[in-house]
Amino acid sequence: MSSRGFTRSQLLAATVAFGLLASAAQAEQQPCIGNSAAVTGPAAFSGQAIKMGAQIAIDEINAGGGVLGKKLRLVQYDDAGAPPRGVDNTRRIALADKCIAILGGFHSTVAVAQVEPVHEIGIPYVGVWAANTKAIENGRDPNFMFRVSAKDKWVARFLVDEALKVAKDGKIAFFYENTGWGNGALPDVKAALAARGKELVAAETFNWNDQDMSPQVIRARDAGAEVVIVWSLDREGNQILRAMDKIGYKPSVIGAWGISGNLGELAGPLANGVRVMQTYSFLTPQSDTGKKVLAALAAQYGLKDPASIKAASGIADAYDAVYILADAIKIAGSYDWPKVQKALYEVNRDGLVAPYRPAFLKSDPERNDALLPEHYLLAVWHDGKLIPFKGSPYDK
Amino acid sequence: MSRLYAIGFLALAAVLVAVPLASDNEYELRLFMLFLIYAIIAVGLNVLIGLAGLVSLGQAGLFALGSYTGAITTTRLGFDMVGAGLTAAIVAGLFGALLAYPTVRVRGVYLAVVTIAFGLIVENVAIEWQSLTGGTTGITSIPSPNVFGLRLSGYAYYGVLAVSLFLLVAAAHNLKGSRYGRGLLAVAQSETAARALGLDPTALRTLAFVIASVTAGVAGTYYAFLNSYISPDIFTFTDSIRFLLMVILGGAASTFGPVIGAYILTYLPEYLQEFAVWQKFAYGALLLVVMFVLPRGIMGSLGALRSRLRPAARAIAATDGIDARTTLAREASEQQAELVARDLTVRFGGLTALSEASLRVKPGEVHALIGPNGAGKSTFINTISGFYRPTAGAFELDGIQLTGMASHEIARAGLARTFQNTELFGEMTVLENVMIGGQQRLRYGVLASILRTPAMRREEAHCRQAAIGLLAFVGLEGYAYEEARFLPFGLQRRLEIARALAANPRLLLLDEPAAGLTTQEIDDLEAMIRRVADLGISVLLIEHHVELIMAVADTVTVLDYGQVIASDTPAAVQADPRVIEAYFGTSGATHAPAEVPA
Amino acid sequence: MSTVAQYVLSGLAIGGIYALVALGFHIMWSAARAVNFAHGDTLMIGGLLAAYLVASGWPLALACALAILVGGLFGFVLERLAVRPFAHQPNSIGWMLTTIAVGIMVESYATIETQGYALPLPSPGVAGSVQILGAGLYPQELAIPVLALAAMLGLQALQRHTLIGRAMQAVAHNKNAAALMGINVDLVVAFSFSLASLLGAAAGVLIAPVVQASATMGLLPGLKGFAVAIMGGITSAPGVVITGLAYGVIEKFVEGYVSTAAREIVGFSLMIVVLLAFPQGLFGKREVAKV
Repeated sequence: MSSRGFTRSQLLAATVAFGLLASAAQAEQQPCIGNSAAVTGPAAFSGQAIKMGAQIAIDEINAGGGVLGKKLRLVQYDDAGAPPRGVDNTRRIALADKCIAILGGFHSTVAVAQVEPVHEIGIPYVGVWAANTKAIENGRDPNFMFRVSAKDKWVARFLVDEALKVAKDGKIAFFYENTGWGNGALPDVKAALAARGKELVAAETFNWNDQDMSPQVIRARDAGAEVVIVWSLDREGNQILRAMDKIGYKPSVIGAWGISGNLGELAGPLANGVRVMQTYSFLTPQSDTGKKVLAALAAQYGLKDPASIKAASGIADAYDAVYILADAIKIAGSYDWPKVQKALYEVNRDGLVAPYRPAFLKSDPERNDALLPEHYLLAVWHDGKLIPFKGSPYDK
Repeated sequence: MSRLYAIGFLALAAVLVAVPLASDNEYELRLFMLFLIYAIIAVGLNVLIGLAGLVSLGQAGLFALGSYTGAITTTRLGFDMVGAGLTAAIVAGLFGALLAYPTVRVRGVYLAVVTIAFGLIVENVAIEWQSLTGGTTGITSIPSPNVFGLRLSGYAYYGVLAVSLFLLVAAAHNLKGSRYGRGLLAVAQSETAARALGLDPTALRTLAFVIASVTAGVAGTYYAFLNSYISPDIFTFTDSIRFLLMVILGGAASTFGPVIGAYILTYLPEYLQEFAVWQKFAYGALLLVVMFVLPRGIMGSLGALRSRLRPAARAIAATDGIDARTTLAREASEQQAELVARDLTVRFGGLTALSEASLRVKPGEVHALIGPNGAGKSTFINTISGFYRPTAGAFELDGIQLTGMASHEIARAGLARTFQNTELFGEMTVLENVMIGGQQRLRYGVLASILRTPAMRREEAHCRQAAIGLLAFVGLEGYAYEEARFLPFGLQRRLEIARALAANPRLLLLDEPAAGLTTQEIDDLEAMIRRVADLGISVLLIEHHVELIMAVADTVTVLDYGQVIASDTPAAVQADPRVIEAYFGTSGATHAPAEVPA
Repeated sequence: MSTVAQYVLSGLAIGGIYALVALGFHIMWSAARAVNFAHGDTLMIGGLLAAYLVASGWPLALACALAILVGGLFGFVLERLAVRPFAHQPNSIGWMLTTIAVGIMVESYATIETQGYALPLPSPGVAGSVQILGAGLYPQELAIPVLALAAMLGLQALQRHTLIGRAMQAVAHNKNAAALMGINVDLVVAFSFSLASLLGAAAGVLIAPVVQASATMGLLPGLKGFAVAIMGGITSAPGVVITGLAYGVIEKFVEGYVSTAAREIVGFSLMIVVLLAFPQGLFGKREVAKV
């Protein structure tokens, strides 16, 4: 079923009442980039961050004349983290709004669900947040799913390497949230450990909003884990730290980027020394691009203090993703989906987060991801602030 | 009225045909198909909410069961859509029947909590049973819809959904107009009265639950095929609320209401996107506004408006009916009813309400049961109509053991009753009330109801005519289309008698029928009791009003402190010193009291 | 041993929250035969508001007191706005949906304000943990079940020794008879909803230091608190409190010895089974149907 499969009929007048959507579908002559993200619900911050990053990039591109002589526009729909709404939004963006490409959102379950409609329709998708490995490495050819963000498989390796530096006996526990993101990371972490000839001594899961993690923490302690790798958001990360504190268990804690928001604020001194992987930080010395983005964030969103930016990676990844897409459109010389998809493999540019040379590699199925492990940053929580690990008091 | 429905169905058909031809792009069509699926759920749920009056806040759980069953049988076992849909219907139906079981004991808010818990359990099992359900990631790559190996195109699948919905709306409409629909409404409005008329509330509620679950299950399979992807996030508590809201917004118990509700709530999120971060807030605000502005839903409010603008005729011509004497006539060979109660004892905790009370209602007589307040009259009548269980003793009707039977079974054995505080089906018409009385004589099944077979229509027509005849018998034909709750009190009492007679009883229990009536009305009642007795129906009358008893009773039994102290002709009982003592507390009182005139 | 002690004590802490929430449901139900389905959001209002006030420089005690008062006001307004107009309806759909609607609005507003992030509420009760029988807990957590019991006893004292308390009991027993005796039923219902919400907001303030204040912090306690109330017998204050504490402990043992994942499945299945065996809840009064 292609979008052209359904022809328009003369009966439109008869169904005016039911054709309400048509009004939404007609206005779009201007090329747009769509985005399905959580604008409401517990991860509402992510939709906001993506919007900021993408909009700043689009404004800059439009100030420079847009792409192919037209100005770009961002269309954001809320999926509230629910996959069916993400799927519906994907179709709406592609078929009703006829956008050039889709930017991904926060939730891995949504990203995985989008694989199917994205390929059925054949519209390029560029993930900017959800890190689930399989969303991008989905075995399709041609693959329309791209990503400018972390990939769990690589994050797992990155964190396992860090963990093994600390764990003398190599005893590592894994705490992961019971979501598509957490569950998807479990095999990645296991594989990364297996590659180093190790096994997890405990794998513990928990739900969002869980209020006490003592059973999980007790099991990890009893298993003798020296390091705990955490795949959670700040709120649950804080619960894990507090449960550890209560039973007097003090392992090293290393986390994926879910705990890079306000863990320091929530857990206070307990967060000191917790290491976090990030793709970007506005707290390091900034490049010219970084200064420009910071200025825009301060001017348009009132984020004057870089430390108050809680979702740096999301903003920066969305910013870069839009530029990569704009480049691809220029290379393709067209808004046509398959052409843009092919052109994405030809983009070369120095982005905010990393140099993309090239952004994607057609020859390597692992390289529909633009951010490579060497671009990942290790940060650490210290006195309520997330600072680069290198040169921190914990870097010994 | 039926013309309005015909127009409604034509409009629905027209819309279903026109939309695919007019839709701009695939997205619009898919959205409309999503609406069709939700409408299927809502129409099924309406049977439960609108007719049975039960609130389910776990419909998403049944939807999930259907969806997962469909997806798993398709991806693992290679079922086609028909096989997957049937399996899903069976699985969801079984769970629906299971869910109906608690209604035997809990209702209202308790039932709502049970259904919430059910929905949450299903959602969590779907998350945790990873090997089967794929856990949080769900099941992907569900093949496109196919029937017997044939792959359905987008339009063909649309056709399947559209036809399904249309047939379901028609079936639900037919069911509503059948004995099952009336029975469900009756049970919802007064379970006590329904049971006393021979309706089995548990069976009816189970039916409603099964219908609501099977439709949700099939809709779930349709959804799995439409989306080709399912995950636990699709089936949350929020979705259960949305399904409930579809029914309420459209108008519970109405034919087209749930469809309209489903339409609005499917398209609403599309427009709420405009509100960005405020959209959930806007949804809540809208929900609030709806509850205030349209508490009875769109169709309910429209219906109320229509009946205000053009009030329907209240009366019905008695000539349309079958004479009550024909309806109530018995075969000559048939024995007249005899009720025998032996040594009935009923205890509530430490209180003995009835102590070895024996009573015999002779065939064809009018038997009065009297006694001071608290003597055990109500306990006696509630025991022999099956609402209380006797602690000891037995009772039978014409040799049929009734002890231990449920009240609806006793009613079916030929015992009908009225209630001290009238128990009418207040929101149903006077005629419908009487038709429910005649319910147990109808024999057609669920399938016949849905299809409106000729046999079913014949039976219905007969039931209706008999009901009209009974209304004429008690003089209520002028109020046939009035809602029962709007009748004056005296007429409500008469309606209860007509309704009880419609069950074609052999023994009629009248529980204080004269209470609250005017003198004129009591005279009418007296005449009516005589006419009933003349038809060969035994009458057991509980009454305080002595003049009435003296005038109509053949035998009077007196209860005091749960014991039978006298049973004889009215004149003999009146003279019995023990009776006088029971009423006045002094033995040998010589003067005649006002209430027991000499 | 220390593990068992940990599960029992942690369970009592969680259970204390359920008990406090369930107690609120009990109070509302007794007065109006209706409840506020947004009661979980009352917790959130209390916790979040306290966190905001403290963050903007208010002293902790004052911030908490004001947050609790606002929570109580929320209950009062909600009863007027969303419950009373529907209280006379025979089925419960009306007030169920209106209170759910208000809950959606409140939670959505809180999400917008917080962007979904949790906020800390500093408290001396979580500064350091204490060890009991080898189990580690924050003093704050120990306080929760104690305060739940205190609230229950306080409620009973109120009902025995004050005019309004006796009026509450009268209304719970028979609304019409109470009205005939000259009791202002509307006032008692409004008072009950406010009292329940004060308790709810207090529970929110109490748990916020442990679980952090967030827009969704009341979701699960609200739902489970209601399940606990129904399971314990919503007509009995000691019943719901005891059931709440027990439910929390059972949850911890399921998490500890079965799996974290099985928690809700076991918990809610248990609730259905209990209701089938005891339709009025474990400690609830049987209401005899009169024909």
